[in-house]
Amino acid sequence: MTWWVTLTALFGALTMLLGLGLPVAFAFLGVNLVGALLFLGGEPGLMQVVRNGVASVTNFSLTPIPFFVLMGEILFHTGVAMKAIDAFDNVISRVPGRLSVIAIVAGTVFSAISGSTIATTALLGGLLLPQMLKRGYDPKMAMGPIMAIGGVDMLIPPSAITVLLGSLAGISITGLLVAGVVPGILLSALFVGWIVVRCWLNPALAPAFEQQAVVGWERWRPLLLYVTPLVAIFVIVIVAMSAGWATPTESAALGALATVAVCVAYRSLSWKALLDSLRGTAAISGMILFIVIGATTFSQILSFSGGTNGLVTLVQGSGLSPLGVLLVMMAILLVLGCFVDQVSTMLITLPFYMPLVQHFGFDPLWFGVMYLICMQLGLLTPPFGMLLFTMRSVAPPSITTKQIYAAVTPYVLFGLLMLGAVMAVPGLATWLPKLLLGK
Amino acid sequence: MKVGAWGRLMQVCGIAAGLVIGVMTVLVGYDVLARNLRLPSPGGIAEASEYGLALATLLAAPWLLWSEQHVRLDLLQMSLSPAAWRRLYRAAALVCLAISAVLAWYSVAVIVDLRQSGAVVMKAFTFPEWWVYVPAPLCFGLLGLEAARQVLRGPRVASS
Repeated sequence: MTWWVTLTALFGALTMLLGLGLPVAFAFLGVNLVGALLFLGGEPGLMQVVRNGVASVTNFSLTPIPFFVLMGEILFHTGVAMKAIDAFDNVISRVPGRLSVIAIVAGTVFSAISGSTIATTALLGGLLLPQMLKRGYDPKMAMGPIMAIGGVDMLIPPSAITVLLGSLAGISITGLLVAGVVPGILLSALFVGWIVVRCWLNPALAPAFEQQAVVGWERWRPLLLYVTPLVAIFVIVIVAMSAGWATPTESAALGALATVAVCVAYRSLSWKALLDSLRGTAAISGMILFIVIGATTFSQILSFSGGTNGLVTLVQGSGLSPLGVLLVMMAILLVLGCFVDQVSTMLITLPFYMPLVQHFGFDPLWFGVMYLICMQLGLLTPPFGMLLFTMRSVAPPSITTKQIYAAVTPYVLFGLLMLGAVMAVPGLATWLPKLLLGK
Repeated sequence: MKVGAWGRLMQVCGIAAGLVIGVMTVLVGYDVLARNLRLPSPGGIAEASEYGLALATLLAAPWLLWSEQHVRLDLLQMSLSPAAWRRLYRAAALVCLAISAVLAWYSVAVIVDLRQSGAVVMKAFTFPEWWVYVPAPLCFGLLGLEAARQVLRGPRVASS
């Protein structure tokens, strides 16, 4: 069988099983079973599927995933996140589009604590969206920032998906986590600028409303009390990794314990909240890691069948410039992101992408950050962006899906702008890791 | 929504997975503090957390299938009538059942093979390698049973 027939058959079968509505992990496992029979020597290959699957998650470098998710879950289940939002609310009082700006600022801080994108969006959507709509905010102005900041969560550490990308692609996890900081903060700043300018030009988008004036120390006290400790947790995680005191896994565990300690200090942690957080963590991590189990052998089958080598050789010999190849790679990610979840996208593309990254000599951190921006855009692009569904689940029935799509459009364009900026100025991604880690 | 004995077993799997993650968090966090503060620490925590991660993932998988939390791409379902969607759901569950059954079988085969070969893991801990794979047939067995339930009874409104 020629490599392209094999590739077409493998991806065709995968697409069919996904289309049938099988859980993604099962779709991969099903294709693996057939692929193992054909390309990995029959029965020994089937046993290899089991061994690979278990080995893929018996992996210390993936252990930060549940720890990072746990940080976010604890913060949300204890209500400490809500107190932080109130603290921002006190400080940001006269800015046009105040609640939208709060969504961005609070979302950025939560991104720095929570490794779970969906949890961040669900929390902000559940808390802020009803308030915004009640205050007469344009639905697009209300929903857009909440979805957009959920996407930025992936760039600002800690991020479960970043850990997975580093582990699967063989890119330094610490380096990748640090490399996302500058583009993530820049994107947040762009979002705030956009909201303020839009609402200043057209105040009807976010009508100003009277609120109880809080002055003097009382205005700032909640910020010091409820936001500073969260920022401190972020600093603990980053400093522990950067200074070499702890591996990413250990930093993540420290971050989770610090989050528990902060919630205990606020007297917000009950046994129920802890159990709910652990259960939520098991669900999100389990979803991600079971797909890893399902898809691990897939890349091996692609390789054994000659598919990986065939496609990579074709691209290498295509005469495309390195920039052309990079653009095609990013375009494929953006298209896949509209239809396929982030973990599957990684497992499908990385077997092809990483040999090309090596061949063309792309900086892995630079490439990793652009890859993450594409993943982030995938969360926001119709028809199957995960955060669009999350917003659908928290938005009132009167909001149409079309409005949700329209709300997110400007932020997708900002994401594309940032992708172009990082492509043109690699220092946006590589400067901070060089400064902190010497990488 | 009322949850029967099977549902409770699935929920126990989910809670157990969460507790494993909780224990891992405490152990790994203590390990790094102990190392930097020169406190006593049991060895092998990094290796133990690797096995914990696999155990938590394999424990969570059947619960996630039961509670409809595994990621699916609902490409076709969104355009189908409810009756056609239920038929498609059962067909997908049947495929899941077949996949789980094959993997449960070959998980047992891996364990038997490793027992016969006497393979041993020699890292921080030394123990027979087949121990690592014990959760696999249990996971795929439970997944198969849940998939069979979905084939027979169709979709349930999820409640975890």
